[in-house]
Amino acid sequence: MSKELIRLRDICMAFDDEQVLDHLNLYINDKEFLTLLGPSGCGKTTTLRIIGGFTTPTSGDVLFDGVRINDVPPYQRQINTVFQKYALFPHLNVFENVAFGLRMQKRPDPNNPKKTIKIPEEEIRERVLEMLETVSLKGFEHRRPDQLSGGQQQRVAIARALVNRPKVLLLDEPLGALDLKLRKDMQIELKRIQQQVGITFIYVTHDQEEALSMSDTIVIMDKGTIQQIGTPEDIYNEPKNAFVADFIGESNIIDGTMPRDNVVKMYGREFPCLDGGFAPNEPVDVVIRPEDIDIVPVEQGQLTGTVTSVTFKGMQYDIIVDFKGFKWLIQTTDHSPKDARIGIKLDPDSIHVMKKSRYSGMFGDYSSFSEEYDELDDASLGLDEEESGDEE
Amino acid sequence: MRKTASPRFGSRFLIGLTFLFLYAPIFILIIFSFNAGASSSVWKGFSLHWYGELFHNRLIMQSIYTTLLVSLLATVVATFAGTFAAIGFHAMRRRPRHILTTVNNIPMMNADIVTGVSLCLLFVAFFGGWHSFAVWVNSWQSLVVLPERLTMGFGTLLIAHICFNIPYVILSVGPKLRQMDRNLIDAAQDLGCTWMQAFWKVVLPEIKPGIVSGALTAFTMSVDDFIISYFTAGTSSSTLAMTIYGMTKKRVSPQINAISTLLFVTVLLLLALVNFRENRAQSRSDKLRRGEAVPPKRQLPPVLKRVGAGALAVALIAALVVTGASSRSDRVVNVCSWGEYIDEDLITEFEETTGIRVNYQTAESNEALYSLINMGGADFDVIVPSDYMIGRLIEEDMLAELNYDNIPNFDLIDDRFKNLSYDPENKYTVPYTWSTLGIIYNRDMVDGEITSWSAMFDPQYAGQVLMINNSRDALAAGLFYLGYDVNTTDKGQIREAFELLKNAKDQGVYQAFVMDQVFQKMEGGNAAIAMYYAGDYLTMVDNSDQDLAFVIPEEGSNWFVDAMCVLKTSQHKEEAEAWINFITSTSSSLANMDYIWYGSPNVEAMEEYPAYYEEEYEEELDQETLDIILTPPEILDKCQMYVNQPQDTLRYYSELWTELGI
Repeated sequence: MSKELIRLRDICMAFDDEQVLDHLNLYINDKEFLTLLGPSGCGKTTTLRIIGGFTTPTSGDVLFDGVRINDVPPYQRQINTVFQKYALFPHLNVFENVAFGLRMQKRPDPNNPKKTIKIPEEEIRERVLEMLETVSLKGFEHRRPDQLSGGQQQRVAIARALVNRPKVLLLDEPLGALDLKLRKDMQIELKRIQQQVGITFIYVTHDQEEALSMSDTIVIMDKGTIQQIGTPEDIYNEPKNAFVADFIGESNIIDGTMPRDNVVKMYGREFPCLDGGFAPNEPVDVVIRPEDIDIVPVEQGQLTGTVTSVTFKGMQYDIIVDFKGFKWLIQTTDHSPKDARIGIKLDPDSIHVMKKSRYSGMFGDYSSFSEEYDELDDASLGLDEEESGDEE
Repeated sequence: MRKTASPRFGSRFLIGLTFLFLYAPIFILIIFSFNAGASSSVWKGFSLHWYGELFHNRLIMQSIYTTLLVSLLATVVATFAGTFAAIGFHAMRRRPRHILTTVNNIPMMNADIVTGVSLCLLFVAFFGGWHSFAVWVNSWQSLVVLPERLTMGFGTLLIAHICFNIPYVILSVGPKLRQMDRNLIDAAQDLGCTWMQAFWKVVLPEIKPGIVSGALTAFTMSVDDFIISYFTAGTSSSTLAMTIYGMTKKRVSPQINAISTLLFVTVLLLLALVNFRENRAQSRSDKLRRGEAVPPKRQLPPVLKRVGAGALAVALIAALVVTGASSRSDRVVNVCSWGEYIDEDLITEFEETTGIRVNYQTAESNEALYSLINMGGADFDVIVPSDYMIGRLIEEDMLAELNYDNIPNFDLIDDRFKNLSYDPENKYTVPYTWSTLGIIYNRDMVDGEITSWSAMFDPQYAGQVLMINNSRDALAAGLFYLGYDVNTTDKGQIREAFELLKNAKDQGVYQAFVMDQVFQKMEGGNAAIAMYYAGDYLTMVDNSDQDLAFVIPEEGSNWFVDAMCVLKTSQHKEEAEAWINFITSTSSSLANMDYIWYGSPNVEAMEEYPAYYEEEYEEELDQETLDIILTPPEILDKCQMYVNQPQDTLRYYSELWTELGI
């Protein structure tokens, strides 16, 4: 788990003067499930294509096992890819799709070390069938891709890549085309397969939930730069800036200052917290997760505000509360009616303090809550198509 | 019910009528290709005679060979070039791709004639530039001698076909590439393919349907093309379509029906194949898009596929070998004559005895021949123009003086046909045939005998008369009738003849102004009177049950000579003279006279013809027929030859013809 396998060193990438990757540095460990997460156009797919060898970076080095592989073509890398829309070969049946990579392989002839031979047909057959079993597609060998469902095609694509026993498997939004239920199943399936074959998976997605539930490490990217690298827990609990805090889960982000360690001041009031290491009275962003806020009677509240909207979500209510003109999202199991005055109480460990960044002030205000929800979903889908078009 | 039934009947009736309108001509063509007789209007029983005849027609076989070879080569090259061009387009960014696609589509929309003419001009311009270049290169070194004179021929034809085929391939491959998942190439490379391997193993199978339909379309277009070929083939190569067109000029042989039927069926099959493939692919992808289950593609067993492909290849190669069997030789003579104007066995005989290969081409008319030569790029050696055109060619210094020592058979030419007005010192020409213009009429439809040109203007026969559709001959009828010189340049006299014609036309005398249709109309008894050429009258008689007659009117008529000449630009003068000598021999003249029924100027042939006929057909040649083939001197004395008119008069003729407004 700890051995470094791939390193990206100071990678820059530009398409037609448009900077897609900006001095990117990243290392990936062996047997790790790493996810590149970010909104459309953040450069995650480009990063994946650089690792796969389909795109050559404008500058910087790609190292594999310590060796520079910038100029190694894709077919010579010990890396295989599961493509966005699977890219199965339509003219070949399932068996031949999976066998494709093996048929291309040459290995040294044991009798004559100077020559190479093809992989024997028997071995191909054995490995293909074994792999189809791994992805639960036994008995589908003679189907053509257009006779399979989306989920089955997905698994053929995985089998086709894994049968070559790569050291690294790249997955480019592999679940994007599946419906929600199937997507959940495939997440579990993918994680299982990764543990079974025991190789590195590099996974690209814009779905934060997918990233949180599957990854060992998440790399959050925006505008061609890495915003944060860490385990799902680190990222959720200790977001480095407003972008990360907002992108992973829901966050209220409030302007504040740090008068001294372990104390943060907002709304003119001091709150105890667990953060420190800032200059005295340094302006900061304060993150408070909606589920970490306790609602209390007005007289007991550290802050008081007015409920402006209530939405029933099944497990909880999403309520929007106006605190002196700045609107917070609070998730609670207790119902509070609209226009009610409520108080809130914040535990020290529910407050997370971040340094100011270029994202400060852009996120964390729920003034236009419902619209924001809708727009995010639509926009991310629409942008996605464009991104893949531009990059190729 | 009744209300809904009748419009449906109406629309069906209309659809039926539309299809009838579209296909009736083709059906008639197909039916008459099986006609035992030679007429294209009288049915004489079912026969495959004309199909058999076809395979003995050298000209047709050679042009099938040219057509197949050009189409195949052009298809192969265009398919390669078009496929890779489409891949190149596909790899481009959106804007340049759109621009190039539009540019690619323009040639397909463009009128063929524009493409043809512009390619022709391009070739001629290039040859001009090349000539200067070659002369310059040859002037300062002698190591490599560049050919100084290039002409249009098979090479230019092939280039032209490749040119107009490429857009069709691109158009048919492009969509397949666009349908293809862009990641397929990446996926193949990811799985161990180099770019080229990815192309062969993944891209090619994906776009194969597009390539195949592109190739089929290109092949069909090539086989089918006439106009572009016509302008770029030069004179030494002739495609099937061009040959058919040439054949329609003089006498319409039913072989045309047979070969047209074959061409129609071939193109139909190819198009059906293309459409079938496209429809199948379309319905599959439609179903897939709707999420319906799609049955797996029915695959022929690979063995069958291979056998099928093999059989096709063998058939094509066999066709090439069979049609291309004519021996190749370094010594060549390029002859340009009229359609159906030679007994083709003579060509074979000449090739066998001399070892000189004959490239036999045809032109449609004297005027067309003239423009072919003038346009440049033509490489004829021997041409067979008519008298008045020879005068013009001599005037413009386009003919070579002949070396009559190489043409000893010239002595056999009757003195009547030497030193004629078009070549007074007889330095350039050897006569090929001669004949007269006269009136053909149907005895059953006319009272008594016709003896005068007045019949051509007589309201008594309103709607029954066929006037010849060329100004010189038509106005000649008037001039003869009025007793004027047929070669007059007096505009008043010409005008008078014209008024006669115009009056008759206004009175509805003429059923139509025709050239080739005269055969069909007279043979079928659809018209009573026509003016046409003596030799063609005999063809009509041969094909018809009608009681036809031919007369040279008492006022006199036109007689004409078609003579062989050699162009000044000829590269094969010796071979050309050998050909002329061979054709002038008595035996050749007899065979030709018997075949085309135009008179020969060979004294011996004229004398021996009745005996030859008797031997050939075991019956006596009646004097009447002989008099029509070989007009007796006393009648010929009343006939006059056309003289090349001055520009001014020629222009007046065409002005009047326009005024007549046919």
